[in-house]
Amino acid sequence: MIKAQSVRKVFGSVTVLDGVDLTVAPGEVVSILGSSGSGKSTLIRCINGLERLDGGSITVDDFDVSKPKELAEARKRSGTVFQMFNLYPHMTALQNVTLAPVEVLKRPKAEAEAEGRALLASVGLADRADAFPSQLSGGQRQRVGICRALAMKPRYLLLDEVTSALDPEMTADVLDILAKLAKEGTTMVFVTHEIEFARTISSRVVFLEKGRLVVDLPTEQFFAADGGLANPRIAQFLSKMRKD
Amino acid sequence: MRYTEFTPFDIVLLAQGLGVSVGLFLATTVIGLLIGTLWAVVRFYRVPVLTQVITFVAELLKNSPVLVQLFLVFFGFPAFFHINLGPVEAAVITLSGNTAAFVYVIAVSAIESIGRDQIEAARAFGLTKWQVLRHIIAPQAMAFAIGPLTGLLVNQLQVTSLISVIGVMDLTKIGNILNLRTLKPFIVWAVVGVLYYLAAKLIAYAGATLERRLRAHTAWKGL
Amino acid sequence: MRIDLSLLVPYLPFMLEGALLTAQVCVLALLGSLIVGALMAVARTSANTLLRRAASIYADLFRNVPFIVQLFFFYYGLPEIGIYIDAFTTGVVALSIAGGAFTSDVIRSGILAIEPGIIEAAQVSGLSKTKVFSKIVLPVALRTSVRPMGSVFINLILTSSILSTITLNELTGTAKIVASDTFKPFEVYVVLLIAYATLTYLVSLLIAALHRRLNRDLGEAVR
Repeated sequence: MIKAQSVRKVFGSVTVLDGVDLTVAPGEVVSILGSSGSGKSTLIRCINGLERLDGGSITVDDFDVSKPKELAEARKRSGTVFQMFNLYPHMTALQNVTLAPVEVLKRPKAEAEAEGRALLASVGLADRADAFPSQLSGGQRQRVGICRALAMKPRYLLLDEVTSALDPEMTADVLDILAKLAKEGTTMVFVTHEIEFARTISSRVVFLEKGRLVVDLPTEQFFAADGGLANPRIAQFLSKMRKD
Repeated sequence: MRYTEFTPFDIVLLAQGLGVSVGLFLATTVIGLLIGTLWAVVRFYRVPVLTQVITFVAELLKNSPVLVQLFLVFFGFPAFFHINLGPVEAAVITLSGNTAAFVYVIAVSAIESIGRDQIEAARAFGLTKWQVLRHIIAPQAMAFAIGPLTGLLVNQLQVTSLISVIGVMDLTKIGNILNLRTLKPFIVWAVVGVLYYLAAKLIAYAGATLERRLRAHTAWKGL
Repeated sequence: MRIDLSLLVPYLPFMLEGALLTAQVCVLALLGSLIVGALMAVARTSANTLLRRAASIYADLFRNVPFIVQLFFFYYGLPEIGIYIDAFTTGVVALSIAGGAFTSDVIRSGILAIEPGIIEAAQVSGLSKTKVFSKIVLPVALRTSVRPMGSVFINLILTSSILSTITLNELTGTAKIVASDTFKPFEVYVVLLIAYATLTYLVSLLIAALHRRLNRDLGEAVR
């Protein structure tokens, strides 16, 4: 269970997150929507401990991310996929995937590599395992990024606008993989601009506006005329996103 | 008779040594700047043969130890050309030549930093090559080169310390003398080091100030 | 005034020994500089203010004091405090410390140039601070540092000639002996000058090749 309680995050004079509450139970797929600057990415970065909280608390399976010792445990339970991939440039795709399992989980190297290859094969990259990130296309890089997160067998997968840097064709590839993961019961929290995709795979949708979590509804209700759409801000946001 | 203690006169000695170092540094800097710039002008005019020779000599001087250059001039020149060269003359020749080589490289890249289009435009207006150099290239190249030149000069001040090896009474040589006399190497070399350090900082500061002035001069001041 | 190099032929094996010593000193000093430089770069990019300050002072000091002064400080100073090491070791130590100051600059900028997201990815995957540093930060910084490290290494080679002043018979030291044996200082030092220039040129070619090889996989992550 990921539990965020009255989370506050301030950058200088700007309050980016203002009393956000969010709970994600195992098996859920939660998408976070909101216009840019609403604090979506910051929320993800608070959950994986990349940003220090200025108020409130976040726990991942009861491990408090604001305590250095517990953060290590919390991080073992969650995997993050980034918008800009952030692959290690000096390592091959396979090495990117196996680094953390070997170094953090102390898995035997051969075992980790076998699993890594299987993971890469499952996203269609069997023959690219020994390629360096610079030799891969954006879509391929992001698939490696997903494998890297999955290799740690995380209980929660955090995805931060993972298709924003990809062109439409590659976006479809990556979304297919995420849909498959969702079907397999992977718990996911993702920030996205792909409204239709969010609608098809998520079990819940939350909407952030100016650092506040204004709506938290099951997907069906969020997109219902008398549910989330009744909120004029959300209706406006959705129609704008669909036009783009 | 041996004096093993420091005397107040040692301060005078150190000051003299520093004076020799700084004096030679300044003299060779001026000569090096002139020669290096002249070489760059020769290259700008694409004088055949001479340009290639200059480039070769500059590369050779840049890529060999100053100590070896110093030995070549101090020991080699008198033997080969049958001339008399004192340590100071040898030092001036070597350091000037070495500085010139680095100045040349900086000047060339400074000139190349100016867009061809500017030069072509000026030429199209009927300016001679010399006028272009004087009015278009020189002012801009100066602003570009001042940073690298400051770095070079800080380095060249340190290079002067090598002339102590051929017997010039510079700061390092005084350090040697005091070291042998007092047998207190830590104090002697620390003091000598601090004096060099302060002189280097002074050059860096002067360079930065000059750069600010030049930049302020060329910066857009509005209408 | 005719250059006759045949006189030097019998001395070639002797000078080659000197060249070998120069190579040994330089390779060891390069390793030393890398270790010192990496440690200092870590200190200079650390969150600890005191550590950062101390490392910056080290780099500033050893870059602004002439190497020969540093060398004499160690060569004459260390025996004073009961440390007796030979000229070879003193030379390697002094070169490593001086080279480390420049290396720390190079590696520091290599570290600062790393895309922060790459480090964040390593952090969230649960790697400890030291693992993030040893597995991600340092290898990436070192790869991007190959070229600037090359200039440091070439400077190291040129600077190693100064070790001849503390009785080490490396390349310049042996040349000095040959020059006084043959009474042909001009020929000897011209050959020496060209030898150093050729050596550093070859090293620069090697570095360019190494840079291409090491960074073939980095693609746009470099630059």
